Amino acid sequence: MTNDANDAVSLRDVTKRFGAVRAVDGLSLDIPAGQTVALLGPNGAGKSTTIGLLLGLLAPGSGTVRVFGDSPENAIRSGRLAAMPQEGGLVPRTTVRELVGFVSGTYRSPLPLEEVLATAGLEGLAGRRMERLSGGQAQRVRFALALAGDPDLILLDEPTAALDVRARREFWESMRAFAARGKTILFSTHYLEEADEYADRVVVIDRGRIAADGTSREIKRLVALSTVSVTAAGHAAPLERLPGVVSAEIRGGRAHLRTRDADATVMALAAAGAVRDIEVVPAALEDAFIALTELTELTEPAGPAGPAPRPASGPVSGSAAALTEVEV
Amino acid sequence: MLGYIRLEVTRTLRDPAYVIMGFAMPVTMYLLFTNLGVTGDDRVMAALYVMVNMAAFGAIGSAFNNGGGIAEDRSAGWLRQLRIVPLAPVRVVAGKAATGMLVVLPVIIGVSLAAALLNGVRMEAWQWISIVLLLWAGSLPFTLLGLAFGYLFSGQTASVLNIAANMSMAIIGGLWLPTEAFPSWLRAVAEWTPSFGYADLSRKVAFGEAPGVATALTLTGWLVAFGILAVYGYRRSGRVG
Repeated sequence: MTNDANDAVSLRDVTKRFGAVRAVDGLSLDIPAGQTVALLGPNGAGKSTTIGLLLGLLAPGSGTVRVFGDSPENAIRSGRLAAMPQEGGLVPRTTVRELVGFVSGTYRSPLPLEEVLATAGLEGLAGRRMERLSGGQAQRVRFALALAGDPDLILLDEPTAALDVRARREFWESMRAFAARGKTILFSTHYLEEADEYADRVVVIDRGRIAADGTSREIKRLVALSTVSVTAAGHAAPLERLPGVVSAEIRGGRAHLRTRDADATVMALAAAGAVRDIEVVPAALEDAFIALTELTELTEPAGPAGPAPRPASGPVSGSAAALTEVEV
Repeated sequence: MLGYIRLEVTRTLRDPAYVIMGFAMPVTMYLLFTNLGVTGDDRVMAALYVMVNMAAFGAIGSAFNNGGGIAEDRSAGWLRQLRIVPLAPVRVVAGKAATGMLVVLPVIIGVSLAAALLNGVRMEAWQWISIVLLLWAGSLPFTLLGLAFGYLFSGQTASVLNIAANMSMAIIGGLWLPTEAFPSWLRAVAEWTPSFGYADLSRKVAFGEAPGVATALTLTGWLVAFGILAVYGYRRSGRVG
């Protein structure tokens, strides 16, 4: 297998174990230059490990990691790859200007220092010491460090975790300006809205594997399931054939239908004369995650350590098959 | 790499532990030891003898402090940050060693100035120059041992080791009490320590003697040993997990 040199990022069958834990488990991912990609997944899904591998801070157990067709180390050395870690890196007893200036000075063609400070919103803080920065300010310094060398690819590990709503919006405005110059951005997040709003492409990872890969519209279609519930008894199976319904369950004397099209489902229930105490609950983000993590469970091969396999003909996996690129 | 050295030197000068242990304390100790309860010819002797010893003690402390800081840098994520900027890892180590060689200078010069200006120590110009250069160049083994500690151990362990090594170097190497006061077996041990050799080269120059070849060779041996340890520590810490 070869890695395409034109891709900003190319991971091929990459596996990384920590002891018995497979943090990244046979991951393959190509990102063409110029894309803004969100790496979406719950805590412990392997997002930070993937970023560590892309930076050469971790060595893959197997598989290949290429950045612009080269090793991560060389991509960093040539100034094409930079990153914003989730935490740390702000060494005590330095000022913002000293630290950003130092990092900037290690690059062959950095952005002007004043421009970097302005982009990161640090003009008023240039003389402040690292130990006196708030969490949000510290995050802006990390952003400035990643931006300083004007890299072609920037990796952001949960960049907005420490930011309030306004700072988050400002941060993404800066990233949009950066992306508009043809730069590639890969950011990890566990906020679906953030992936939705700012990424061209969303890669959902769970337990070290890709659970879904597509535009945010595709991902949302995959996971944004409303729940329609009515008082009912009997078997759930016939309900699953209603329009829009992907799964049905009867508990506590009520039928709970997970549907991609709540309108169609309600109409069908009405036509069948089944509307009793009807309730429609729109998709919650937690549900989205649960739906996506269920997907990987469904496709996991049977193994002594793995969870018991479920029937592959289940409703969720059936609907997901078209949209999901499952790596086994 | 110059940018890195500048940043690290700036950080060190702002470190209270460095300012106190690596400068203020050795200079104060020098002035106390040479002015309290010492009179006449003894005082002139002491002013020169203790000058070399306290400058050496301060330089060793500064060199250790520099290397021990690496352990702190690691826990602060600074070493990781350095790996994601276009600065070759070998330059980071070389820069840190160069920083060590720079931050030993204030105490060497400070104690020498205290000797000349406050204690009236007088020597030939070549003696002053030789002593400062010997104290400066001779601090390299201690800088390397400090780097080894910093790369091999976590923050707390590294600082405990620094203090332990600094104290034992000072005491056994005869920087606080002259080895002439030691029992003969301890004096024999002392003469093999790097700190004894380090200070002895300059003491010989200060009292108009030629530095001993054996002493120089012993110190060179320590330089090689600590250099190997530092390279080993660096390699081990830099291993990609």
